[in-house]
Amino acid sequence: MKISTKFALVCSTAMLGTAAFGEAHSSYTIGITQNNVGVDSYQTTYEQAFIAAAEENDAVEVVVLDAGGDVARQIAQMEDLIQQEVDAIIIWPTNGEAVIPAVRKASQADIPVIVTNSNIAEQGFDFVASFSGPDNITQGARSAEIMCDRFKAQGIEGEAQIVQISGQPGYTTAIERAKGFEDRLPEVCPDVTLVETQPGDWNREKSQQVMEAFLVKYDDIDGVYAGDDNMGVGALNAAKAAGRAGDITFVGATNFAVGYEAMAAGEYWGSIYQSPVDDAEAALQTAIDVLDGKDVPFLNYFDTPKITQDNMDEFTKPVF
Amino acid sequence: MAELTRKGLQGFLARQGILVAFAVFMIAFAVANPRFIDIDNVFGVIRSSAILGVMALGVTFVVIGGNLDLSVGSMMSFSTIVVLDLHDKIGPTLAIPSMFAMTLALGAFIGILVGYLKLNSLIVTLGMLSAIHGLTLTYSGGKNMDIADKSGTWFSVFGQGSVAGLPMPILIFAGLAIVLSIILSRTPFGRKVYAVGGNGVAATFSGIPRARVVFMTYLMSSFCVATAGLIQASRSLGSQNTVGQGMELEVLAAVILGGASLLGGSGTIFKTVIGVLILGFIQNGLLLLGLAFYAQYIVTWIIIILAVWLDIAAKRGGLWSRIA
Repeated sequence: MKISTKFALVCSTAMLGTAAFGEAHSSYTIGITQNNVGVDSYQTTYEQAFIAAAEENDAVEVVVLDAGGDVARQIAQMEDLIQQEVDAIIIWPTNGEAVIPAVRKASQADIPVIVTNSNIAEQGFDFVASFSGPDNITQGARSAEIMCDRFKAQGIEGEAQIVQISGQPGYTTAIERAKGFEDRLPEVCPDVTLVETQPGDWNREKSQQVMEAFLVKYDDIDGVYAGDDNMGVGALNAAKAAGRAGDITFVGATNFAVGYEAMAAGEYWGSIYQSPVDDAEAALQTAIDVLDGKDVPFLNYFDTPKITQDNMDEFTKPVF
Repeated sequence: MAELTRKGLQGFLARQGILVAFAVFMIAFAVANPRFIDIDNVFGVIRSSAILGVMALGVTFVVIGGNLDLSVGSMMSFSTIVVLDLHDKIGPTLAIPSMFAMTLALGAFIGILVGYLKLNSLIVTLGMLSAIHGLTLTYSGGKNMDIADKSGTWFSVFGQGSVAGLPMPILIFAGLAIVLSIILSRTPFGRKVYAVGGNGVAATFSGIPRARVVFMTYLMSSFCVATAGLIQASRSLGSQNTVGQGMELEVLAAVILGGASLLGGSGTIFKTVIGVLILGFIQNGLLLLGLAFYAQYIVTWIIIILAVWLDIAAKRGGLWSRIA
C-alpha cells in the first residue's frame, strides 16, 4: 500500500509512476482529483479521511490530487490520471458542466469514473460509473420535517412564518436543498408560510446582513431555514443582536462545529448531520465496489441523519 | 438666463452629485418601505458598514498617494483568522497586539515594494491578494477558526459591545475617521500624501521623501485592516478563511464613490465615509425591497460608473465631452 500526494502545481510524473506500478497486481490504483482542498474545513477533513481510509485498506493505493478550484487544472489532472492508467478515477467536480469532456475521455479509456460529493450535469451521466455523495433533496426535505415537528411541539404549526437563507445561486447543492425544503414543507406543515428567500452565499457574515434586513422587514419570524449551519449561525447572530433569537427556530444543514455548539447552548434547534469522513469513505468504497464488479446503484447516497437538540448526544461534534 | 441656470445646475450636480444621489436614494427607499429609516435599521446598516468603512479609510490614504491597494480583503481574512487563533492560545490581551504586529508587517512589506522599490502597486497588491490568501489557508490548515468559550470572553466587546447605546463598531469607525481626517487635512504628512499623489516628480523635487510617504500610506492601510479584522473577529467570534474575500473591490468602490481620483492627489476622509454609507444603504435598501442579493452588484456598479462620470464632468466643466 502506497500513497502519493500531489498538490496543485507540483506535477511529478515520476512520483505517479512509482505509485501506479510499484505494487503487486492484486491492488487497485485509484486516482482522485478534488475540488479545492484547504479552502474550507469540510474539504480539508474529507482529504484527510480519504487518505486515512486508503491507508487502512491494503487492497488500494491512491493518487491524491487537488484542482485548487480551477477547472482547467482539474481537466489536466484527469488527463494525467488517464495517462497513468489508474484503475479508477474519483472526481469532485469543480464545475458540473466543464469537466464532462474529461470524464468522457476517461470513460473511453475504460477507466471507470466515480463522481463524489456533488454530481456532474446530466448530459455526462453516460460516462459515470456511479455518484457517491449526500442526497441534498432529502436533506432539504428532512430540514423541513425538523422545522415542522418543532412548530407542532410549540403549537404554532397553523400560523408560523419562516424565511430561508439559501446557498450560492447556481450551486447544485444550494438549489437541491432549497427544492427539497420547499417541496416537503407544504406536505408536512401546509399552513406554515415561507415569506422570503435570499441567498447567503455559504457565508456567515453575508447571512448575518441578510437576516438583519429580514428582522427589520418582518415583525413576525418563527423559523429560519439556512442552507448550511455556517449561514444559520450568521442568522442566529443577527437575531441575538436584535434580541429576537428566543422566538425563532433555527434549522440548518451540514452540521458544523459552530452549529453543534449553538445547539448545545440551546440557541439553535436542528440540522442535518453530514460527515466529510463518511463522504470520503463512501467515495473510496464505491470505487472499490465498482472495480470489484459489484452491483452499485448509479446514485449511491450515504445517509445524512437529522440532528436536533433532542438527539445531539448521539453524534460527535463535527471537526469542521 | 435659462442657459445660466442649466449651467449652474450642471455644476452643482457635478460637485455634489454623490450627495444628491444619496438623498434621492434614501427618499425613494424610505417611500418604498418606511422601515428603511427605522432607527434600528439605520444603526444596523452603519454597524454592518463599519468593517468595510474602516478598511476604506486606510485605502483612501493609499489612493490619494497615487497607488492602489487590492490586498485589503485577503489581509482582513488573515487578521481575523490570526486573532481568533491566538485568542485561545495566548489570550486576548496578547493576541490583539500580536495580530496588529503581523498585519503591519504585511503592510510594511507592500510599502517597501511599492514605495522604495517603486514597483507598480496594481501588480504588487494583486499578487499580495493571492499570496496572503495562501498564507491564511496555510496558517489555519484550511479550517474554520472559532473561539472555544464564546460567552466567557471580553473579546466580544469590539464587535458586539456598545457605549451609551452606540454600537462599538460604529464608535471605532467614527473615531478612526475623525483621527485620520485630522491627519490627512491638518498635518504636514497629510499634505505630503496629496503632493506625492498629485505630482510625484514635483514632490520629489520639493524635497518630499516620496518613498517614505508611500510606505507610510500602506502602513496606515494595514493598520485599518487590522482594526477591521478585530471588529470582524469580535463580532462573530469565529470565521471562515474567506471572510474578506472580494471586499477589496467594495472598498475601492466606496473610495471612488467618495470622489477620490484613482490617479491620486484628491479625495477626503469625509467623502469616503459618505461613499461607504451609500454602498451600505443601497445594499440594505435593495434587500428590504425584496430584490435578490445579486441585484445589488448591478445597481452598485451603475452608481459607481455614474459617480465617476460626475467626477470627470466636474473636472471638465460639463457632463458631455466637447471632443467626441
